[in-house]
Amino acid sequence: MQLAWGPEEESFRTELNGFLDDHAPPEALVERDFAADDDVDELVPDWARKWQATLFDHGWMIPSYPPELGGRNCTPVQTLVYLEEMARRSIPRSLHFPGYAIVGPSLLEFGTPEQQALAPAAIRGDTIWCIGMSEPNAGSDLANVQTHAVVHDDHFVVSGQKVWTSYASTARKCFCYVRTNRDVPKHRGISVLIIDMDTPGIDIRPLRNIIGAVGFAEVFFTDVVVPRANLVGELDGGWRITQGSLAHERAGLWVEGVSRLEHTVAALVDLARRVGATDDPDVRRRLAEAYERAATLRALGYKGFASFAQGSSAPEHSYLKLAASEAAKHCFELGMEIQGAYGALADPERGEEDGRWARSFFISFASTIAGGTSEIQRNIIAQRVLGLPRG
Amino acid sequence: MDFSLSPDQELLRETARSLLTRECPSTLLRAHIDDPGVADPLWERLREYAGLGGGSLADLHLFVEELGYVAAPGPFFATTALFAPLLLALEHDLAPAAVDGEITGTVAMAGSEGRWEVNDAPVKTFVPEADTVDWVAVVEPGPVVRLVQAPPIRLLVGIDTTRRLFEVDTATADGGSTRLDAAALDDVIGRATVALAAEMVGTARRLFDMTLAYAKERVQFDVPIGSFQAVQHKIADMALEVEGATAAAQYAAMTFDAGDDERHRAAHVAKAAAGRAATRAAKDGIQIHGGIGYTWEHDLHLFIRRVYGSEHWLGTRAWHEDRLADLVV
Repeated sequence: MQLAWGPEEESFRTELNGFLDDHAPPEALVERDFAADDDVDELVPDWARKWQATLFDHGWMIPSYPPELGGRNCTPVQTLVYLEEMARRSIPRSLHFPGYAIVGPSLLEFGTPEQQALAPAAIRGDTIWCIGMSEPNAGSDLANVQTHAVVHDDHFVVSGQKVWTSYASTARKCFCYVRTNRDVPKHRGISVLIIDMDTPGIDIRPLRNIIGAVGFAEVFFTDVVVPRANLVGELDGGWRITQGSLAHERAGLWVEGVSRLEHTVAALVDLARRVGATDDPDVRRRLAEAYERAATLRALGYKGFASFAQGSSAPEHSYLKLAASEAAKHCFELGMEIQGAYGALADPERGEEDGRWARSFFISFASTIAGGTSEIQRNIIAQRVLGLPRG
Repeated sequence: MDFSLSPDQELLRETARSLLTRECPSTLLRAHIDDPGVADPLWERLREYAGLGGGSLADLHLFVEELGYVAAPGPFFATTALFAPLLLALEHDLAPAAVDGEITGTVAMAGSEGRWEVNDAPVKTFVPEADTVDWVAVVEPGPVVRLVQAPPIRLLVGIDTTRRLFEVDTATADGGSTRLDAAALDDVIGRATVALAAEMVGTARRLFDMTLAYAKERVQFDVPIGSFQAVQHKIADMALEVEGATAAAQYAAMTFDAGDDERHRAAHVAKAAAGRAATRAAKDGIQIHGGIGYTWEHDLHLFIRRVYGSEHWLGTRAWHEDRLADLVV
């Protein structure tokens, strides 16, 4: 048990910071809005593409990977230090997560050699990917996907609809979950196909999100022909690919959420000072509670990392997505409350920060829904971590 | 930040766990309600671990977490988490004897309001185990510390029978006083706060373990009640709070051992988080047990009592949050 990392980790941190000081573009260094990334006009701006490529070329994109995949063969502790530092400085690696966090690693684990060859471009950000997962009737019940692919000798014909598909409008390829067998239990009849987004029969209709920004889309497939070679993994074996993501980094991915929460708590304190609310005993106590929650989650993350590094499972990390997203939503609402009557304004001449708190609060609704709702997270904790029987 | 335990720490925890499971069954807690003397043999077994009061807080916190798991009665906590660290801070002649387990002691500091802040009230309150210990260290304005023996005391009748709290009348008690640096006193109290947080986490974990086991075995509507989502979500939230508080207490212990600037914030966070987790484990624990948990025969109430006693001792959650706000806001 010790508070500080060793000299080797600290010299690694120094090396990283030297690189960031030399190479990070000004756009990556500005304080980004603390709720989410989907509050922008252009989803993947040019500077972000270049920055991701720079990280890849210098081995700082996924540090645990080898150099040809944008890394430098880092240890788990080095990866944690990397994620700590990026989060502390609020520097994003990428503005589109599907390629480097899901598609690249999944292709490397499950793909044919030809498909694995697509991974470096996915991780470097040269190819923008979207994930065709959620459907109108397959949200929390993900195995219920109905978009189906008719299997022919050398190709599939895909028809159906995806929804909440992030980056669909800019993506060149889709990592798409389709039903290939209706005669078996539903999670055993799903396959993954790589679908080029310019294939005839694909219709993309942008969806505006709750704050009016265009972050995701509905994608309609009508008799879309996909070559057989684009099947990832086994036919009907797509369910296990849903589990594929950055296993290397899973023990440290909580750092970003917790750091963001800490930045939000610090901003809440600043806000309370500006509006003169720091003498209000109720506000003071609630700020203390927010601080307490963030500090507790950071400790929980490190405790889980210690278990992970020793080769044990780390149930702590199952708790962090649930807790950090709920805590963040709570903080944004508190930011509105602290402003009293002005809390619900988004007026550039009245109130604080152009309604940043209200906007972030609305954006944060996504964090307890996307990637497994808080209720699904509790089911997972109860059943997989604590061993309670399925209902 | 490395939270992993050393082999020695793993061994310490395992030793504490097996010793306390054997020596402190719930039958002892029940007998102790009417006759506190039944816990004396437990202290004789724990005496050899009194050195933890003079060692790292990380080690002490692991040990007292197990103490909390069985809601152990007796002078161990008062001696190792309060009395010995205070004597060590004073560089008092009796400090080696306290760390060697040769003498027991407690600390009298809170006044009529029950807050652990320096005050000139002659009657000190919420003094743990004052009737069984050899020495009472009285903290008075200065701050100075006066060591007294056998002062007039009165037992405060509380809901928790496993930790006995007293009023101590210090007006007529004689003892030489020693001056103490105010910051050193803050560190002693902060340390004890973290130890109590760890102890509460242990009690919370006991309540959680009992509840999880019961949810798996209790059948209603032909299925275990733990298969119901309403029950599962309550238990998931209990687990989240307990795991978080466990980590917060460990982190706080590490900050004191390192003399880190964050340590007082971390102590307030740890006690508040432990209180949040433990009171939730108490309330949701009995709710999931249903009627059986409401009986005197069931052990659940012994631990619920300990939790609420601890929640209100060495600063309530609200008090710690207010002190935390002073440091953060």
